[in-house]
Amino acid sequence: MGNKLKVSTNLSCDVLVIGAGGAGLRCAAEILEKKPGASVLAVTKVAHPQKSHTAAAQGGVCAVDPSDLHDKPIYHMFDTWKGSDCSADQNVVKKIVETGWDQLMWLENRGMHFTRLQGGALGKRTFGGHTSGFGSVSSFRAVFDADRTGKSMMDTCWQEAVKGGVSFVPQSVVTELLFKEGRCIGAILFKEKDGEFVSVLAKATVLATGGCGQVFRITTNCRDNTGDALAVILRAGFPVMDPEAVQFHPTGIVGPGILASEALRSEGGILRNKDLEPFMEKYAPKMKELAPRDIVSRAMESEIRSGNGVLNPDHNIEHVWIDLRELPDYVHDVKLKEISGFFKTFVNIDPKKELCPVRSSNHYHMGGIPTTEFGEVQKTSDEIIPGLFAVGECASASFHGFNRLGTNSLLELFTMGKFVGERVVDYIKDGSLTELPKEAGEVTFSQFSKYLEASGKGNIGVIREEMRNLMTAKVGIFRKGNEMAEAMESLNELRKRAEVVALASKTTKMNQDLHQRWELDNLLDIAMITTKGAYERKESRGGHYRDDYTERSEEFDYHTLAYMTEYGKVDLGKRPIDMSIFEAGGEHCEHFKMIPRKY
Amino acid sequence: MADNYSITLDIKRYDPDTKKTWFQSYKLDAGRILRFVDLFRRINNEQDPSLAWGSSCEHGQCGSCAVRVNGKPLLACELLVENAVKDFGTTKFRVEPISIAPVVRDLVVDLEKAYEKVHRAKPYLIKRAPLPPQSSYYQLSPKEIERYEDATRCINCFSCADACISSHKNFIGPNAAMASIVRLMDPREEEKEERLKLLYSEEGIYRCHSSKACSFVCPKEIDVAHFIALAKEGAFRGDNGE
Repeated sequence: MGNKLKVSTNLSCDVLVIGAGGAGLRCAAEILEKKPGASVLAVTKVAHPQKSHTAAAQGGVCAVDPSDLHDKPIYHMFDTWKGSDCSADQNVVKKIVETGWDQLMWLENRGMHFTRLQGGALGKRTFGGHTSGFGSVSSFRAVFDADRTGKSMMDTCWQEAVKGGVSFVPQSVVTELLFKEGRCIGAILFKEKDGEFVSVLAKATVLATGGCGQVFRITTNCRDNTGDALAVILRAGFPVMDPEAVQFHPTGIVGPGILASEALRSEGGILRNKDLEPFMEKYAPKMKELAPRDIVSRAMESEIRSGNGVLNPDHNIEHVWIDLRELPDYVHDVKLKEISGFFKTFVNIDPKKELCPVRSSNHYHMGGIPTTEFGEVQKTSDEIIPGLFAVGECASASFHGFNRLGTNSLLELFTMGKFVGERVVDYIKDGSLTELPKEAGEVTFSQFSKYLEASGKGNIGVIREEMRNLMTAKVGIFRKGNEMAEAMESLNELRKRAEVVALASKTTKMNQDLHQRWELDNLLDIAMITTKGAYERKESRGGHYRDDYTERSEEFDYHTLAYMTEYGKVDLGKRPIDMSIFEAGGEHCEHFKMIPRKY
Repeated sequence: MADNYSITLDIKRYDPDTKKTWFQSYKLDAGRILRFVDLFRRINNEQDPSLAWGSSCEHGQCGSCAVRVNGKPLLACELLVENAVKDFGTTKFRVEPISIAPVVRDLVVDLEKAYEKVHRAKPYLIKRAPLPPQSSYYQLSPKEIERYEDATRCINCFSCADACISSHKNFIGPNAAMASIVRLMDPREEEKEERLKLLYSEEGIYRCHSSKACSFVCPKEIDVAHFIALAKEGAFRGDNGE
């Protein structure tokens, strides 16, 4: 190594956006529309914002079309509330649902591509958990671009960001947030390509780093979804909300873990066990394959647990089948061309003729950095950190509570992206840049020096895989107190093992081993608070399912706030669930009390 | 089909600290449906953590893992071991970075530089056409969209640019050209002149030699050459076209 680590460049800007996926760049675009000429830096971990994981979303994005006589915003609010297992915040639900269609139009008007009907209107499809008339009939609420809706949205977001003049900082990560008198004033970045540390002073900082699915072995999340902002927030002494609220998507393709969209089931795909029995009838007699994700996931895992799964020898993973053989050629070849093609591409199977192997896979984190309905980051349930905002999957406002409905995540990205952008513009109006604090970078350098100086045995990738296996086995779809206690012990050991591993190379320039070492620390942090949150929540709610506490309990009608300043020592706080729609007492308010979640 | 294959990967390495370039050979036993990204990961975990390679989504939707395997640009996340053995007729593979931008380390290239061309092509709507009266959005018939829809599936993996026989220095490149052509075909775009100026400029589509290498290698199976041909002909709009 030789040289002491240091900040090599000092930058400043009006707004620093960390994470340039759909949420981060929708926010950036809003800032530049409202305040043309503002200097906005958008940091992305990937090589270009277009590579962000938003682009992986497939089936659709929902919003209530005002011209649809069968649909109403109140129905969508109800579906979201019920789907969340009564733990979404109703102020946020109302705000997002009411603006959904207008914001969708913002995207369409700026060139987003959609699948259309003959007359030119937007085509629509139905998705699990979305209904009209408070659960009475399925609702056609999701618009889409074939099976690449996320890509089309991501393209529009980054294109608008380019048009508006956002400066991108690619292949870079945030390692430390900077504060002065309790206000966030910027961050330290690590630019991997150059191997350099950079300080950025900003009037406002927006965290938008996406999900953390790499905590689990079986996941649909990309290689880069390691929850970086969550770990940085924890290290700054602030909380992560509902870390235990993790969603498992029913149909990950066995092996690569690639998501096979819910659209496959809405088009008529049937789940079958090893005896080819269509088992969903047993678990959700009414909605069957279209029941919400957590219910379908647990049904699949139950089948596998009771010996009705099939073992894939190459990946040593048990799975069930999705039967797409009855779907018309038009669906395979046109409507769901890409997803149907995934099976051919990634497992060499022809879905028109053969059964396809699927397994419930970690998919989405409902929890995240706690924010207000404007995306302001909170340090406690009623106190914000001025200058710091969070949006997208890394944040939790909370629109999804303990279970997210399909197509609601893309909706959240661009609506909250807009709201946060507006709030940021307001915030920086009177803002000014401060001086760089003397201690800026200390946290980062102490962390990275340890990585570079370690001289023991081991392999970072191997430890990462062990952690992922552990989390899938013990903190996955079915959770139990004693197993999670064991998991926490194992995590402590894994972290100790990671600490001594000598890196293959001591350079800082595009050193993948160093990058993964840092990511591993982030993953281990998130794994720990997820496990602790799940351990203490002695009930089942949405995606969080306890074998030893199978029912929802009103004792836990709150959000978890998890703090961790020393590894393994997790302090838990609470944030109340907002029930303002119910409390307002208007028409239909009875649907917004704590209702049972049955489909 | 065999259950397992003994694979040799000769990977081109580059160390930016010493500026040295060399080929390094790695041997692995691999199951038939493992992908090349899985092999790279296994090399990191089992043999050599210092090997740097790019990937993100690992399901063919981000294009970060484009590499050259035995001379052909492709996505490493989509290349299954058994298909590679079948298609290339060998168990020995030469893996190199794509040639469209400077190498940062090993298989990782500086895509920021490569994307400059895409940005120059202005992939957004430069000037939005007025909305139809009483409508909050543009009404586009499936027939209209069909003409350019395939091109919207481009993920900018730059495989086409790598395969292109025109010089990277002088030609804006097939994917960047296509980004502009899509918007010329999109009825929502009003700015035509600026786009045509770029496409017919010194770095524009007349640099294309019509080899169709772009269409041949595109992992999304987009007929890139078709779109460039449309542009050469000026046939951006449908039958009633302008």
